[in-house]
Amino acid sequence: MTDELATLDATAQADLVRSGAVSRRELVDAAIARIEKTNPEINAVISTRFERAVTDIDAVDAVDAIDDSPPSDAPFPGVPFLLKDLACPMAGEPSHEGMRALREAEHTATHDGHLTRRYRRAGLVVLGRTNTPELGLLPTTEPDSYGPTRNPWDPQRTPGGSSGGSAAAVAAGLVPFAHGSDGGGSIRIPAAACGLVGLKTSRGRVSIGPHAGELNRFLSVQFALTRSVRDAAALLDVAAGEETGDPIVAPPARRPYLDEVGVDPGRLRVGLMTSIPGTADPVHPECVAAAQDAAGLLESLGHHVEVSHPAAFDDPSRVGPFLTVWSANAAYALDSWGRALGRDLGEGDVEPLTWALASHGRSTSATQFLTAVGEMQSWCRSFLDWWDEFDVLLTPTLGEPTPALGSFAATSESPMAGFMRSASFTPYTPVCNQTGQPAISLPLGHDSDGMPLGTHLVAAPFREDLLIRVAAQLEDARPWSGRRPTIHA
Amino acid sequence: MTDELAFLDATAQADLVRRRDISPLELVEAAITRVEKLNPELNAVIHPLFEQARTATRSDLPQGPFRGVPMVVKDLDGTLAGAPYHAGNRLLAELGYVPETTSHLFEKLLGAGFVFIGKTNTPELGLMPTTEPLAKGPTRNPWHTERSTGGSSGGSSAAVASGMVPVGHAGDGGGSIRIPASHCGLFGLKPSRGRVSLGPEEGGAWAGLVMRHVVSRSVRDSAAILDVIEGPMTGDPYTAPPPSRPYREEVGVNPGRLRVGLRTHTAAAMGETDPECVAAAEDTARVLESLGHSVEVASPAALDDENLMERFMAVFMSSVRAGLDELALLAGRDVRPEDVEPTTWMYASMAADVSGAQYVAAVHTAQVWTRHVASWWADDGFDLLLTPTCAEPPPVLGDLVSPDDNPLHGALRATPFAAYTAPFNVTGQPAMSVPLYFSAAGLPIGTQLVAAPYREDLLFRVAAQLEEARPWADRRPTVHA
Repeated sequence: MTDELATLDATAQADLVRSGAVSRRELVDAAIARIEKTNPEINAVISTRFERAVTDIDAVDAVDAIDDSPPSDAPFPGVPFLLKDLACPMAGEPSHEGMRALREAEHTATHDGHLTRRYRRAGLVVLGRTNTPELGLLPTTEPDSYGPTRNPWDPQRTPGGSSGGSAAAVAAGLVPFAHGSDGGGSIRIPAAACGLVGLKTSRGRVSIGPHAGELNRFLSVQFALTRSVRDAAALLDVAAGEETGDPIVAPPARRPYLDEVGVDPGRLRVGLMTSIPGTADPVHPECVAAAQDAAGLLESLGHHVEVSHPAAFDDPSRVGPFLTVWSANAAYALDSWGRALGRDLGEGDVEPLTWALASHGRSTSATQFLTAVGEMQSWCRSFLDWWDEFDVLLTPTLGEPTPALGSFAATSESPMAGFMRSASFTPYTPVCNQTGQPAISLPLGHDSDGMPLGTHLVAAPFREDLLIRVAAQLEDARPWSGRRPTIHA
Repeated sequence: MTDELAFLDATAQADLVRRRDISPLELVEAAITRVEKLNPELNAVIHPLFEQARTATRSDLPQGPFRGVPMVVKDLDGTLAGAPYHAGNRLLAELGYVPETTSHLFEKLLGAGFVFIGKTNTPELGLMPTTEPLAKGPTRNPWHTERSTGGSSGGSSAAVASGMVPVGHAGDGGGSIRIPASHCGLFGLKPSRGRVSLGPEEGGAWAGLVMRHVVSRSVRDSAAILDVIEGPMTGDPYTAPPPSRPYREEVGVNPGRLRVGLRTHTAAAMGETDPECVAAAEDTARVLESLGHSVEVASPAALDDENLMERFMAVFMSSVRAGLDELALLAGRDVRPEDVEPTTWMYASMAADVSGAQYVAAVHTAQVWTRHVASWWADDGFDLLLTPTCAEPPPVLGDLVSPDDNPLHGALRATPFAAYTAPFNVTGQPAMSVPLYFSAAGLPIGTQLVAAPYREDLLFRVAAQLEEARPWADRRPTVHA
């Protein structure tokens, strides 16, 4: 049964439980077996809680179920799940954010995040946490603390990052979907590299409380990586919604996102962009070809596609404020983790990139930080004007085919080398974190080596509904569920 | 006719125009006459826009809900292309700065048919709860001209209270709508974070502390104007969930039986509350009870957090410093101590050593604190918090002004006036000051009511109920049209 379950999406697994064909326990036991068998090849899951997960199920099965247990109509009863080890804390479980010092201290979280609680209330059974680069700072997943996660399509290549552990686990069939977060593309990048659906939610859609109000001045959002569009929609219905005291709240959807699956999106006005931002030069030809192919597919579905993108995308001044905000938050993260550990974290405790960014952040004044935020907000207004004329921006998710592991390492001369190397790999994803727009990566293409290539669709603020409609339409037109990576449970 | 028009609210003036009982130009000319008569004594309007107003009125005014109704706008919290913008600052005044862009908020008000007849006084950069900028001189309270109007929207409040205009634009980053509404006997509601766009010139001013709206004499004006100005504009960094129906339709709707918590003390470090301010809140409590609501002494425990003001100040001071950086950009040179008031310079200097990481930490702790405050509404079952708007009655002019050699004086004296209001700029909740009470000396004392996030609808319902139970429309200040 294991092999069959491994290929089912979460909705299908939940249906099996609902129909009585499979018990929750069987679902979870099968996932545990897959993780034990396949994870050593890919290093996606870095901590497990198998016994506690089984206890969770037994508690639900008990007559006197705990208050927090899922209701009987929970959408994902017994469906196995993994949490990225960044944000989204779970009481008693490791919270290391890719940091060696936290791993060595065996640091654990004291409480469940709101999102963790929502996932569990939906019936999901958390089996462990997945690998992340230190503080989620890179588009690859190779922290010194836990070693590299390997791409199931080619174990010599990166799974992308920073949600690379979750992406590899889902792609390899360990679980049907997994938690991820995105502050510059960290859901969409690994989704593209591993052949998955990666939806970056709108700013304010998913609460990151109760331990905080924002991540990285609202640049970062949380959600998940999935194999099917319907799973993304159904899980968004679980994750979305205001929690008490959220600093900002996205306007709620008019109806459940799951209801958008199968709805005709109408004739959309789509702008296609395949140039390197700030230049007229194209990104890698294979990525251009994949985006053009997706454009053709959209046209065949009746949409209008033309070459167009926001002029502000080409404005090089957008990059500086982004770096300033990330740097100040890296410094804040080291300060607050230092407080949690009861000692200051020094240069030897973190990777060279982390130290370089945090040092930059420490030399940034509050005023400079505020000026950067102001510049970013001003830039957003001109960027978003484009959506007055268009519904969706279509780009390749990534600017080049998936690089080999090690490509983003710091060098002895330049701790920032890997960070700078990211620019050509991820030219399109960070802008949506600046504007707060929703965006999705869909696995519609592949390169000449057979590696997945993502298609990136960006909608106006708060229009996840539109993205789900068009994503479901594309999935229906060119299904990807039959494709399997080299390494698969 | 002037005297009769002077105390009609904006809704009533708009009705006269709609029924063709009066022309927009007659309304505007009457308001200009009132400003010319009253302003020398009050110093509320600092940039008259009379000719622009006449020109606009003679052309085709938009067919909006407030067509032809005169109003004033504050010389802060928004820019109007072609009109001076000094923000209470002498450097901008010396430069004669005139912005080239118009705020979305002003575009929406103009689109509704309002006619701007002048810009009103504000303390420098809106930093004080009184309106006595060195650059422009003090605005005087129409109820007692030796008293403060409060601030920072003191110029607009004096103009509305004295009957020059029915409504005045205002902004609130620590209480600047509610405080002057309290001191001048007006209705002032600070909307929820994200309700009104601050664009295009700003995204989220002061880390989301600032919101914009109006001060008014009637509740229905405030509700109908919020209908005009609410809603996202392209590129806003965040936006409030939309109301389920227009706010003007909440006026007159029975709010049901509400559970209200009464709080008449501030966190200990912020000092005692004046007995007259306590009496005002207790009086409102009795009115609420007479309307069938349940009032008990209760409030979020987090409001007693001694570190609250410290957190607010780190964000506030950094924002002041960033404001001076913008000033330097406009001036094309560094800002010097003599370019700003002593207290402003002190705030900016104190922010010099705050790092970006410390700022992030301050915002983080404020956000976690917000969750504790908000849980009182979400988990403890309360609908409204009732407090005095300020901890002291309107002070005499000069009381809050720092001498050159003691810039801390103004900052310390500001505390009792913002102690009840500023926490809800941190949380982003909607809050309002209602003018139900007068001190023994005949000065207005406002009462603040705070709702759960995004529940302006509930505030308007209960405000209209209070207005009906204890009408204030017929009260007239000493100086009035």
